[in-house]
Amino acid sequence: MILLQSHSRFLLQTLLNRVQNLGKAVELDYHWVEFDDVRYHILVSMKNPNVLLLSVSLPIPPPEAVFIGGLPFGAIEALKAAYGVVVQILDPPRDGFNLTLKLNLGKLPLDEEHRYALLLKIASVREVVLGAPLRVVLKHLSSRTVIPGIDGLLALVHRSKESFFLVPQPDKVTVVFPMRFKDSIDIAFATSFLQEFVEARHTAVLNNAPPCLWSPNPPLELKEAPAEALSANAGFVSFVIFPRHVEGKKLDRTVWNLSTFHAYVSYHVKCSEGFMHTRMRRRVESMIQLPCCYLLAGCAASALHVKFSWNGCLVGDSDRNILPLQATQVKGSYLVTHVVSQALDRAKPGVEEKKKSPNSRSFKRLSLKEARANSIS
Amino acid sequence: MATSLRLYLTCIRNTLEASLCLQNFPCQEVERHNKPEVEMKTSPELLLNSILICRNEAEKCLIETSINSLRISLKVKQADELENILTKKFLRFLSMRAEAFQVLRRKPVQGYDISFLITNFHCEEMQKRKLIDFIVQFMEDIEKEISELKMSVNTRGRLVATEFLKQFI
Amino acid sequence: MDPTSRPAVVIDYGTGYTKMGFAGNVEPCFILPTAVAVNESFLNQSRTSSSKANWQAQHSAGVMADLDFFIGEEALAKSRSSNTYSLSYPIKHGQVDNWDAMERYWQQCIFNYLRCDPEDHYFLLTESPLTAPESREYTGEIMFETFNVPGLYIAVNSVLALAAGYTTSKCEMTGVVVDVGDGAAHVVPVADGYVIGSSIKSIPIAGKDVTLFIQQLMRERGENVPPEDSFEVARKVKETHCYTCSDIVKEFNKHDKEPARYIKHWRGIKPKTGAPYSCDIGYERFLGPEVFFNPEIYSSDFTTPLPAVIDKCIQSAPIDTRRALYKNIVLSGGSTMFKDFGRRLQRDLKKIVDTRVLTSEARLGGKIKSQPVEVNVVSHPIQRFAVWFGGSVLASTPEFFAACHTKAEYEEYGASICRTNPVFKGMY
Repeated sequence: MILLQSHSRFLLQTLLNRVQNLGKAVELDYHWVEFDDVRYHILVSMKNPNVLLLSVSLPIPPPEAVFIGGLPFGAIEALKAAYGVVVQILDPPRDGFNLTLKLNLGKLPLDEEHRYALLLKIASVREVVLGAPLRVVLKHLSSRTVIPGIDGLLALVHRSKESFFLVPQPDKVTVVFPMRFKDSIDIAFATSFLQEFVEARHTAVLNNAPPCLWSPNPPLELKEAPAEALSANAGFVSFVIFPRHVEGKKLDRTVWNLSTFHAYVSYHVKCSEGFMHTRMRRRVESMIQLPCCYLLAGCAASALHVKFSWNGCLVGDSDRNILPLQATQVKGSYLVTHVVSQALDRAKPGVEEKKKSPNSRSFKRLSLKEARANSIS
Repeated sequence: MATSLRLYLTCIRNTLEASLCLQNFPCQEVERHNKPEVEMKTSPELLLNSILICRNEAEKCLIETSINSLRISLKVKQADELENILTKKFLRFLSMRAEAFQVLRRKPVQGYDISFLITNFHCEEMQKRKLIDFIVQFMEDIEKEISELKMSVNTRGRLVATEFLKQFI
Repeated sequence: MDPTSRPAVVIDYGTGYTKMGFAGNVEPCFILPTAVAVNESFLNQSRTSSSKANWQAQHSAGVMADLDFFIGEEALAKSRSSNTYSLSYPIKHGQVDNWDAMERYWQQCIFNYLRCDPEDHYFLLTESPLTAPESREYTGEIMFETFNVPGLYIAVNSVLALAAGYTTSKCEMTGVVVDVGDGAAHVVPVADGYVIGSSIKSIPIAGKDVTLFIQQLMRERGENVPPEDSFEVARKVKETHCYTCSDIVKEFNKHDKEPARYIKHWRGIKPKTGAPYSCDIGYERFLGPEVFFNPEIYSSDFTTPLPAVIDKCIQSAPIDTRRALYKNIVLSGGSTMFKDFGRRLQRDLKKIVDTRVLTSEARLGGKIKSQPVEVNVVSHPIQRFAVWFGGSVLASTPEFFAACHTKAEYEEYGASICRTNPVFKGMY
């Protein structure tokens, strides 16, 4: 998975499940949390199996973001436009939530395809609600106008107590993300990733993508922003969105991608840490094999006793079979050079496969049986 | 390999060869104890002068010797924040598996990234030449590994960015 | 916001299925097969070619290839439909076998299925009572280093299974957990929340063996099942049609008398040609679960029936716990879900115990009458994910957060802190 999906997987699964078993009355009471502090709660009672209450709580808005009645502006209209008659918005919402929707599953369209599309839309409720203001702004951009009454900077919440900023203009919208991470490793990774965004934009393939800038200091657009919003440990990223990026069907995708930009970067930072982890683990494991064979080399050279087990192959036994000194030295030194050169090769990735066959052969040469035979003769 | 690195490694190798002449030395204070003097520093007459080999400011190697033990501490090149973190992470990974390495010191000497402690027992168990080989090989490897890691992080960043920006076209 | 104010993530990974969800819920959000399908086409290429430029291209392909993988049902579907994905099961016999695959599995669980930020939640993971401390360290390392979780608790799954029962009736943390999963089966005695390690008994027969046995029976009867699908069909048959009988001979008679009533049909589509097929399901319906009670019908190596193993396990436990252990035998794991499994187990076990009591009374010449031993096999409706539910209950108590190992502790002391996990107050 490279891109984040807009629908909540669990919500969709529950809805589909519910719709398929409408006849069976069950009680459902689930609550769960998604990234960026979006909480969900689902309630279905035995009495009314057709009605499903879905409550959503949003990240706590920072002071600069505009919230009307606990929701970002334009959210109510967006919900109504997206869901129509199936969904009723309850006022006031359940305790502790920003929004409660009453879904009437009996009113879903009967057509399989439409129904699925609508359920998918309901499962993407966070996109509809949190992306609502962005959608309004970008809609105006596609008609090359500015929302009346808003000039200059617009703050939109995307994480708990954090916002990103829009500078709407008739022909373009500049989106600025202050990027913050908790962990110092995350910061380093994210910084290098964000610089790659700028680099990647310069390639020919992405000529039409929104121009992208990264700077460690707040860009000029954020002059008016409150001071506390201007501390970002991984710098500031800005995208310039032109009308061509929000034409027709692209609008939904653009809204979702922009409103989850931070989550996207954070997800990939985590994934590459995992990737690095796997790689280092392999590397260290191959390195660990080195010292143990040096130990082996030392033993053999001292020729006092020959007892090693390496690769699960017991070569000789110190207690019972003390080999004649001379013979061991000859054999031992041969073995040592062989083993060490292999051990070094083993540490390099890719060589291992090739070297496997001589490896096993050299050990056969000094198998337990032969060692015994040596000691007898 | 860059010539300067080769020179640096050769220098370390020669120094190690010269200084790795350790002998058994029981502790002078507690009977039947045997402690690495380079760590304990109980008496100045047991310690030899330490040697600092620098390739440049960021990359250096400190070799401290005593009668029964030798400590070698490395500082690995860290050009930027990312390399710094990769090195730290990688070396932490190694130190967490210190048992398997025997000669690896669990905590690096202050100011360095990683330290090895070689005692006379290690020298008796293992061949001295091989031990030196191991350390030099290790230094070579770590340099390569870090630069590969860094490259893979950057490539990854590029791909992540490309995928994201493609969404807008 | 403080991570302790958010619900903890509970993941119970078993050999067959992984159960995951948020603490405080009654059911896990997802129950997925523990399988990973990795795109390995990149790995194979890099070995054959050597040129530098090519290497670069593959390197960048390879960097992303590690994201090109699927887990759960999707993995099974992918590996069946295309050759580029190879399927691997990261857990074998209840122990993590392939750490790389396991790390990827967790990554998908967290980011794609639960869609949560691991930095925001405490985690409760499970392990079998026989897990080596090293493997616990590895788990801790991955969780703290890769995912940056703020806190982690690794619980023993049998203790959790006991905890699952305690909300429904009383706070009982003493009992025997009969945990029969897909790849491992253990009988674990627990006293006051502590596992009696020396008395744990393992059985080499688990859910997968039942599936294999059913597959074998169907193949021997010559049922019309395409060979590449036969294991999956056997698994489905096991999950949907199997039940425990009280007496095999009677059951055979019943089937012979009224085949119409007892023989079920299975309809499927051949994966290669797409042609439909159907087959009958007969004796395997009750012979499958019978493997636990008469293992000799399946394997000649292991012939001790499950009730006898449980009895032996309790007899090896400290004498003052035995009565309490007999009284609370808890079933957990998907392979105890067969209908009437608990009743059969209770009957057989009771028989063993009563025989012993009778012989000892006879030996004493009837002078002393011993108090009858109460044998009680508890089965609850959520048996399949009892471990998960127990985890969910425990992780929603406030004591849980105090019992967790935190990221700060990990950084201070290293992975060795994960070796032990304290039994905490909330468990009683």
